[in-house]
Amino acid sequence: MKGIWHYMERDLVKWARGRVAVITLLVMPAAWLIFVGLALPVRFTGNYLDFITPGILVMTMLASSLQGGSLLMFDKILGFLNKFLALPSPRENILFGKILFITIRGVIQATVILLIAILIGATILSPLQYGMIYVILILFGILFSGLATTLALYIDDHDSYAAVNTLISMPLFFMSSALMPYSVMPSWMRSIAMVNPLSFAIDAIRSVGLGEVPLMQMGLLFVTGGLVLIVCVQVFRNMTV
Amino acid sequence: MTAIETHDLTKYYGDLCAVDHLSLSVDNEIFALLGPNGSGKTTTVLMLTTLLRPTEGTATVCGYDCATEGDMVRKKLSYVPQDMAVDIRLTGRENVVFFAKLYGVADPRAQADEALAIMELADRADDLVKTYSGGMRRRLELAQALVHEPAVLFLDEPTLGLDVAARKKIWEHIRKLRSRGMTVFVTTHYMDEADRFCDRVAIISRGSIMAIGKPKTLKAQLMKDVITATISGEFIPFELGSIRFLGRKEDDVSFTAENGREALPLIAEALVARGMKVHSLSLHEPTLDDVFLNVVGSSDEPRSFNDQQFRVMLRRRK
Ligand SMILES: Nc1ncnc2c1ncn2[C@@H]1O[C@H](COP(=O)(O)OP(=O)(O)O)[C@@H](O)[C@H]1O
Ligand SMILES: [Mg+2]
Repeated sequence: MKGIWHYMERDLVKWARGRVAVITLLVMPAAWLIFVGLALPVRFTGNYLDFITPGILVMTMLASSLQGGSLLMFDKILGFLNKFLALPSPRENILFGKILFITIRGVIQATVILLIAILIGATILSPLQYGMIYVILILFGILFSGLATTLALYIDDHDSYAAVNTLISMPLFFMSSALMPYSVMPSWMRSIAMVNPLSFAIDAIRSVGLGEVPLMQMGLLFVTGGLVLIVCVQVFRNMTV
Repeated sequence: MTAIETHDLTKYYGDLCAVDHLSLSVDNEIFALLGPNGSGKTTTVLMLTTLLRPTEGTATVCGYDCATEGDMVRKKLSYVPQDMAVDIRLTGRENVVFFAKLYGVADPRAQADEALAIMELADRADDLVKTYSGGMRRRLELAQALVHEPAVLFLDEPTLGLDVAARKKIWEHIRKLRSRGMTVFVTTHYMDEADRFCDRVAIISRGSIMAIGKPKTLKAQLMKDVITATISGEFIPFELGSIRFLGRKEDDVSFTAENGREALPLIAEALVARGMKVHSLSLHEPTLDDVFLNVVGSSDEPRSFNDQQFRVMLRRRK
């Protein structure tokens, strides 16, 4: 267990020292929030900022998680992974350390987005509601960082990784309920958006904002996240014996 | 208990046999696996460090089976891979403390400080590794490796890419670790380093061990002197009385003789008589390079089919 923490600590310190990376990961979601939330002429709901903030929060987690997979890929290419695998610390700790770091990093970034949203006029919620939002974001982060680290085990160069990353994140984001409510979507898009895990998380955060407790969506995220972790550990074991 | 034992350790990558029925016993010494690029050194180390599953055969480290008791094996060893991997955005101390924690040592900070001091990095310990030279980074990796006082230390080409002074320093440190009671298993393709700093060497070529022993013993298998001639023209191996042909490396052909001074003119004459042009001749005491030439036949990498045939022919002559 301790090993997970030490692996996480290494990535966290390295990340915190590379200021450019911190800023670039935040710029995109912040720009979306400000330009789309405040400036877009189309409005589907009363307070579009309140409507779009959950989508941007989830998008931040998604971008951070998918990008995070490249950390494991680089560890693999640069020979760190082999060094770690030869250590007495249980090998799965490498994986869980990565997922923990990526999720923590995502939560830090989402917090910044949340603060910006409040600053520019989003409705302030109760501590319990924020608590639930964080649980949803963490479940979502584990799901996608698990997916990204599994992918990273198969991919050996940065360009392919970036391509796969875009290939996954773009359609996922646009085919979700992030930008518009289901009621205004064309029907083909609605059916995709309804089964998109991004929508589970976004809808869940929206229901929290409306004072509901979205147990169904949270349960779905929990179960898919668990399944992804099981697959991830299995792939990792197969590849490293 | 023997530190490292292998029996018929074999690894195939598809059809390619990278390591071919390797049987070794290493204990309480600096043991070098010596061979050119692609001879199977890294593959051997990966199997011994539980990072790669052998196709065939067994290996044990401190009595634990590398294939079935990986957890125990990893408690006993430290591994420094061929390609340097240290975090340049962390300080030297952070790099070592991180490993100390992962090894689960009692007092990570104190152990790290000690390891850094042994590797003479104490005064630079709080600088980012970004500012370290290649030799310092290698020493930092050694510090990471010895922070849990392993019984066996695996070093894959520890001096690769370093300048002469840095190499010497690395070897001095390896000797120091040896004197602390560690068994050191090192790979290298630098014959002179293996000769000077290792207790025992195994010469490996295409996955097979061709010779094994103390450098001195191996060199004693040759006669007192080695004569090397740089030639041009078609060379056909021959022997002259007690003068024995050793092998060929590009345009250099080598012979060994009990009395090199007397052999020099004989060899020159024989080469000229066989239609070759002799550009230079040299006389020296046997080195591991010569031993390698003797057991492998030709120390350059295979290039053409003819080259292969040449080698087969040589083997048959012996
Ligand atoms: N992952 C791999 N897949 C296929 N062939 C490999 C792989 N790793 C090494 N080889 C081949 O196995 C042989 C031995 O390689 P290696 O053990 O790296 O040699 P060395 O470390 O002595 O240079 C070489 O011919 C190399 O090309
Ligand atoms: Mg190698």
